Amino acid sequence: MPQPTSSIAAPSDGTAVDAATILATGQHAAELGLFGLVWLDTELLARSRFGTLVDFVETGRPVTDSLPPLIGLEDDIQALKETPHRVLELPAVALVTSAGPAPRLNFTVFWISTAERFLLLVYRASSRSDIEVELTRQVRGRLIAEAEVQAKSRELTRANAELEQFASIISHDLKAPLRALRYLTDEAVEAVVNGASDDAGRLLGEMRHQAWRMSRMMSSLLEYASTGRKSDMLTMVDTHALIQAVVTSLPKPPGMSIEIAGSWPKIETLEAPLDLVLRNLIDNAIKHQDRLDGTIRIEAVDTVTQLAVSISDDGPGIPPAAHESIFLPFRTLGGPTGGTGMGLALVRRTLETLGGRIQVVSGRDGSRGTTFLLTWPRTISQS
Amino acid sequence: MIARKIMLLGEIGVGKSSIAKRLVLDHFEFDYKPTIGVDVYQYDVPDDAGRPGMRLIVWDTDGNFGDAIFRHVYMRQASAAMIVGDVTRRGTLEAMAKLGEGFLDAFPGRHFTYLVNKFDLLAEGQLPDLPEPLTRKGISLVRTSALTGDNVREAFRAAADIIHRRAL
Ligand SMILES: Nc1nc2c(ncn2[C@@H]2O[C@H](COP(=O)(O)OP(=O)(O)OP(=O)(O)O)[C@@H](O)[C@H]2O)c(=O)[nH]1
Ligand SMILES: [Mg+2]
Repeated sequence: MPQPTSSIAAPSDGTAVDAATILATGQHAAELGLFGLVWLDTELLARSRFGTLVDFVETGRPVTDSLPPLIGLEDDIQALKETPHRVLELPAVALVTSAGPAPRLNFTVFWISTAERFLLLVYRASSRSDIEVELTRQVRGRLIAEAEVQAKSRELTRANAELEQFASIISHDLKAPLRALRYLTDEAVEAVVNGASDDAGRLLGEMRHQAWRMSRMMSSLLEYASTGRKSDMLTMVDTHALIQAVVTSLPKPPGMSIEIAGSWPKIETLEAPLDLVLRNLIDNAIKHQDRLDGTIRIEAVDTVTQLAVSISDDGPGIPPAAHESIFLPFRTLGGPTGGTGMGLALVRRTLETLGGRIQVVSGRDGSRGTTFLLTWPRTISQS
Repeated sequence: MIARKIMLLGEIGVGKSSIAKRLVLDHFEFDYKPTIGVDVYQYDVPDDAGRPGMRLIVWDTDGNFGDAIFRHVYMRQASAAMIVGDVTRRGTLEAMAKLGEGFLDAFPGRHFTYLVNKFDLLAEGQLPDLPEPLTRKGISLVRTSALTGDNVREAFRAAADIIHRRAL
């Protein structure tokens, strides 16, 4: 604390303190913000004030103008005149404005009959220790969190359903290649025993293929499972450069053409998931194309809230009955696509995690062609 | 401009401070900072269709007060109360109903509105599970989200209309 400029130290020799010293001490304490005083007339107009804590109180105006917490207490203050020994206390009130919270203050009003005035005493409420505030936050936070767990139960139910789905995938879809592998092994052993080395070679090749396929399925299953937990970093992404890079990197038959159209903005977003979504959808369109001179058209529409992308092909189309199931893990429409069946499941899961959407338009009246419409939020809300 | 006092009541963590901050400062924090004591805000409701502008003195109370708040000096001469609950916590909605009763007892004739807050946490199409007293005819109930700001200003404007009409 800075040393007072005037000499107002308490006397240590027991001598009486004169009135001037008391006044000077009080004044000094008020200037340090230890308390503030406001004199109010019988109409509750602020007449004079004293001390930095009440600097903002305007004199000549109703005290409630400067101190809104006193609004509503006017009658209680007036009633003090009738009961001289009473005081009115309003404890621990903080006034919050756009400038931030003000100090928490105690207000006490007295009726000073000799002066025919009210005296408003303002002093700081004992400030809570950091530990006390933190403890309160933790105790209350835990109570709230416990209840929020219940609110999350919907999400959990969904996650559980997904887990069950996983279990069934493991037991059915992975069982099939495993079983194939077992038969192949038996046959290969037999071929070796019989000395049919050509057959053995072919069977071993098939075994290797099956093993590869299973390992790919496992990796994509893991990738799928971990989407939604990945906390990626937001970066500035040039979506036009991104879509071009994706298209260039994907192998495609020589006769196939891919057109990129529309407006592709630069946005601050999660690059890896956007890459994953676009790559899988385009890869899907390439793989399911059944003609050599097929065309894929990728068009973007940029709006304030989202980036909408459509990916259309002129391939065989997808029957409406399959529009939902294509988004389930390990479902392919069959055919020699070489896919693991995880692509669209990954795409949908990624989009849903980030607040986007995907929709498929295809196979109406048995016509050809498929369009995937996806929306990508311009603001990523994932925590 | 006339000034009227309006209380924010409700269990801890239901979003009373968040509603006050959304209303007055138009911002939202995910971080929970408990109110220990009481914080006072001012919000000017602009004039509208025959009602002059009104300054609302918004008292954001500590959720720990419970029923004791009705006997506290803080409540003196309150024109109205906003009784807040968290739509994801059933217990806080039941507490709202109790506070509503307590308010009517202690302040007969004064107005109160139930604010069912954190509506943003409900999934699309999901209906809140409200205790019976909150669904009675004639009560004011507004679904709010301090996070998105949905219905926050509207609720206070409607309360100002009622305070004016009933001269509270
Ligand atoms: N999602 C969501 N969270 C909210 C909303 N309103 C408040 N919260 C969160 O809920 C927690 C508690 O909010 P507060 O406004 O501090 O609650 P309070 O009612 O003032 O609590 P006390 O001061 O302890 O009585 C904070 O973490 C807020 O971010 C809302 O509308 N939606
Ligand atoms: Mg609070």
